[in-house]
Amino acid sequence: MAALCRRFTGFHFLLVLVSLSISSLVFGDWIGDDEGEQFTEELLLKPLPDRKVLAHFHFQSTAHPSPDSGHHHHLFPKAIAQLIWNRAPCDAVGHFMVQKFQIRDLELSFTQGRWNYENWGGSDPISSTNAKPPGVELWATFNVPVVEIDTTWKNLTHALSGLFCSSINFLESSTSYTTPSFVFGLNVSNIRYGALPREAVCTENLTPWLKLLPCRDKAGLATLLDRPSIYKGYYHSQKLRLTSTKLSGIILEQTLTIVLQPNIQRNSAHSLLDGAIQPSWSISSMFKRNLTGSCVLARTSRILVELEKNIVSKLEELGHGGSWSNSLLDLSPNPFRVIKEVNPFPEESNSILFEYVNSKEYEPLDVGIKWKLPFVWSSPHAPFHASRFLMGSGTERGSIAISLQSTKSDEYFRSKSNECRMQAVVFQVVPWYVKVYYHTLQIFIDQKLQNLSDVIEKIRVTPSEDKKLPGTLELVLGYPCTVQSVALTLDFDKGFLHIHEYPPDANQGFDIPSALVTFPNLHSSRIYIGDDSSVHSPLLLKFQEKNVVLSYTEVLLVPFTTPDFSMPYNVITFTCTVLALYFGSLLNVLRRRIGEEERLMRSKDANKRGLIPSIVSKITSKLRGMPGSKPLLIFAVVLSVLFHYIVN
Amino acid sequence: MLAFHGKIAISQHPREPFLPPPLPFRYPWTMRRIITLDPDVKFMCTLPFSWTMTEKLRSKLLFEELVLLSDICLSIYEVIFTGLQGTLLLVGDDNIIFSSLMGIGKWGDLKFLNSMETTLSLYYISFPSTARRRSIKRVHRETSGDERGEDALGGAPAKECAEASGGRVYTVVVVEREDDLGVRVVVGKHRHAWIVGKISENDVVSLIGKVFVKYFMNGGKKVGELAKGIGEFVPVGADGSVVLSFSLLNADPSDWVYDWKFKEMSNIMLTPFVKALTPIANISIESQVLYHTPKLSQSYWDEKSSSHIFSIRDLPFFVNSNEWHLDTSIIAAGRSKVLQFVVYAPSASECPLLLQLPNGEISMTNSFISPMWGGVIIWNPPHCAGDSHNTLPPQVRLSPIELQKIFQVFLAQLRMLFGLKSNYIDSSETGISKFLDSESGFTEWELDVLYRHHACFNLHSCVTTLESLAKLVQSLPRMIIMDEIGKQVKFSLEAANLAQRNASLGIYDSSASSSRQAKVLAEDAFFHPSIMSISYSSIEHYFAIYMPFFAPVALHVLLAAIKELKRYKRERAKYLAFISEKAKMD
Repeated sequence: MAALCRRFTGFHFLLVLVSLSISSLVFGDWIGDDEGEQFTEELLLKPLPDRKVLAHFHFQSTAHPSPDSGHHHHLFPKAIAQLIWNRAPCDAVGHFMVQKFQIRDLELSFTQGRWNYENWGGSDPISSTNAKPPGVELWATFNVPVVEIDTTWKNLTHALSGLFCSSINFLESSTSYTTPSFVFGLNVSNIRYGALPREAVCTENLTPWLKLLPCRDKAGLATLLDRPSIYKGYYHSQKLRLTSTKLSGIILEQTLTIVLQPNIQRNSAHSLLDGAIQPSWSISSMFKRNLTGSCVLARTSRILVELEKNIVSKLEELGHGGSWSNSLLDLSPNPFRVIKEVNPFPEESNSILFEYVNSKEYEPLDVGIKWKLPFVWSSPHAPFHASRFLMGSGTERGSIAISLQSTKSDEYFRSKSNECRMQAVVFQVVPWYVKVYYHTLQIFIDQKLQNLSDVIEKIRVTPSEDKKLPGTLELVLGYPCTVQSVALTLDFDKGFLHIHEYPPDANQGFDIPSALVTFPNLHSSRIYIGDDSSVHSPLLLKFQEKNVVLSYTEVLLVPFTTPDFSMPYNVITFTCTVLALYFGSLLNVLRRRIGEEERLMRSKDANKRGLIPSIVSKITSKLRGMPGSKPLLIFAVVLSVLFHYIVN
Repeated sequence: MLAFHGKIAISQHPREPFLPPPLPFRYPWTMRRIITLDPDVKFMCTLPFSWTMTEKLRSKLLFEELVLLSDICLSIYEVIFTGLQGTLLLVGDDNIIFSSLMGIGKWGDLKFLNSMETTLSLYYISFPSTARRRSIKRVHRETSGDERGEDALGGAPAKECAEASGGRVYTVVVVEREDDLGVRVVVGKHRHAWIVGKISENDVVSLIGKVFVKYFMNGGKKVGELAKGIGEFVPVGADGSVVLSFSLLNADPSDWVYDWKFKEMSNIMLTPFVKALTPIANISIESQVLYHTPKLSQSYWDEKSSSHIFSIRDLPFFVNSNEWHLDTSIIAAGRSKVLQFVVYAPSASECPLLLQLPNGEISMTNSFISPMWGGVIIWNPPHCAGDSHNTLPPQVRLSPIELQKIFQVFLAQLRMLFGLKSNYIDSSETGISKFLDSESGFTEWELDVLYRHHACFNLHSCVTTLESLAKLVQSLPRMIIMDEIGKQVKFSLEAANLAQRNASLGIYDSSASSSRQAKVLAEDAFFHPSIMSISYSSIEHYFAIYMPFFAPVALHVLLAAIKELKRYKRERAKYLAFISEKAKMD
């Protein structure tokens, strides 16, 4: 009880401190702290050039390493910890003796829509870490012996599909995942990568994802996730990233990146300019919800509004450096702090972050931007824009082309063009039924066919194996920075599938997962002016990491020859008919005594005839003058074919 | 083929002058008839073969043994209880002879168990072992204090008796002595009880009977009560494991947030419990703290007790399955069982929250259980007046004393979930003065009851599972059955037999664990993935495939056969007529 009282007094003391300066973000003795578990929530808002707004939620839970991982938790989701830690056999008392983590790194993303690299940016941290291919993408690095990796991967896919109500378990089969060797920067064999491009993402995937947050969507920033408004957006990507090390324990980052179109708020003063002016927006207008208070369990809860460097440079031209209320735009309410980026090139302007602390208040925190003047800017691009398409026609063969078009945006490369050499890594996984002939690889630079050995610095090909392995191509290209376009083509044959291997709705075609193009000597890291408190922000720490600039290409839809699925029965019936006819005629030939029958007919002649034989004889006599078994046979054939036709 | 064409051509020569054919003066049994009847006969002959060819691979299941086992299991209770062995130890001053005579005389009455042959052996004080004599003297000396008497009995005599009979022996010691307290009956924490005081022989016999039947055999329940709700108090998953998931629910963290140091307390209080139950199930323990978890149903404010009252009637609506996301354990995948234990810290608007019993009283423990699901404890924060004007809620860790109280309720709930009484205070009318408690939460004789009960239930469910598997297999004759399933069934039966043997020897813990194994194997066989995805091809399917061939062929063959038979009759008649004519002519 004494300890309890002390705790209370300490807490009151802290209250005073907090009310004196709201800036004090350290809230004292928080739950789980001494157990090594923490939770933070952050939201980044950013206006995009094409009249849309990016909202990026970042929730981070950490659990320090302890022998109880996977068994006793306070803030950290138990299910995730159980996923990471090896389920070692119990001893007699029921305690898990050997504790060993089996997954070192894991990233799972559910995406709907395609990231628009031209308009929404290609070289900033968000686009390099949160722009994901459509559908589900999962990769993980393991900390288990090589022979156990595949089993662990299979267990993992099943556990994840159960956790997130999705069909990740389709990644279990060896035809759907692969082992990249150097694309993810690590030259390791303990990584597995798989993608399901056709997986639909909806609320049933979001709800279990929210369950992993201590406050779910009951309090804090996650209350903004109004399902109709977020699924109406242009891009929706929910990601789960797990990192575990012996020293720092498990870090679980849950991010949700959405691109929304704010409703145009009519501004009477500028009614004429409404068409050209950027739409003004605020949190309540975009999400249709009000933000009141933070999740009490979160160590920090803040909202950041980012203005890109192209906006900032315009503001600087107009003479308002880092102000949030000027002739161009109005940011409301007043931010708590301004964080500026430090750029290695002093002559350029930098992006600015405005920080809001989301504390427990009674009036909602409604951050928003009001634009006053029409304004056009562009987002920072990656040096090359990657796209992929199919060539050829017909259902027999075709070719895949990947093209890299220079965006001519980066002055940096242009300036020292002569000695500059660009590197691009292409990673492409192709299902086994698309039989790629890797020897047909052709590379065109500025529409000129190149000698492969001049351009390719490193290549690794894993040819596909029927019903066992997908084909994997990893390629490092090196070319001068001044190049305008690079194109790769690969020919392929479309394979035949067994009838059981066709998915439902096979006529739609088959998806080839997105290819990944990375630029290993370009990084999207940002450096912010050294402010101690900014270090507390996991989101900004994430932005400061050295992430390689990358872009995902489109998903390809390959039309295949699809069989008539009732074919086996047709084949059976037709063959059987033919065989039965043959058998019947043969039997007749062997059995019948033609001479005797003729004699009988003659003796009976006209007086004693049944109805059917008389009709038959009439027909046969009309058809041909001669009697015999041939017309009878033909008639029988016609009859039996008719019979089968009706039966079928 | 060509030859046949040729034949046809020859016979169809119409323009040649017609020659009358020779009359059939032979017996009409020709090649053509053989040809016609050949396919019919062959088809009939090969029909059974082709039928067996469409049969599927089926492993041989040991149906006969299954039937045997199920026969045995009809009398499963009797089988299990025959192993019960008892010892009566009489300790007196000089009149031992009298007591022993009395004992022998009355054992007949103790055979109230009818079919259950409870063997009770009688030990005399005049046994040669000096150690025994010494220890019995100690018993005599120390039975005035219950705990010390327990120690004395737990030592040498019980062990020796156990060794003598080869199994576990239940002992009742009757100490004949003048005592101020009158007659005292104490049930110890091992497998014995003692009666101290001057007491008549009839009373001794009925007391001993009570102790044996009511407690040592049935665990404090009425006879047959355990057998009735057999599955209700076996919260063990089909794979023989249980996950005890403890959750601390903060209904509204904006009022207050409570946390606990679960691990430390669990090591002290739950570990002995888990250890004791190891033969019954693989038990693993997990804990978590959840937030924003309001209960489902509303309580009402009671002025008299100045608290919120939640009546027992509404209990089914207490657990809020929408908001309480308790089931987040990956360890409990598949067929294992999770028992949820929930500590519910109500929000400031409904604090203090009390449970009201149907008779209007307030529940002492403020908690309830739901069989096979788990238990809920409502824990009210000490200072209910939540200061709603705080910008930050207080964040408190439960003190060890509070946590210990909660754990005591957990243990009582666990005992009830496993089908034992939470305590024996209510049963004092039976004349038992005292029950001694054990650290693990279970006394040895209670554990024996549990083991027997579980062994019985496991064998029962093993047999029913295998029986339904057998029924399924027999009802679907075209189903594929892998060899592995046959093996699992075999091992399951072996384990079941072992469990029965152990039970009859009185080794209940190993009987429980092998019966568990039998059940797990039976379940594995039943839920084998190859059975789950039945490759069952219906008779319609066969019909659709074979019909297009066999129907037209059969038409031809049958028509030909009929025609040939007709002709044969006709020709035979002619031939017979010719023969008779010829005979006349001759």
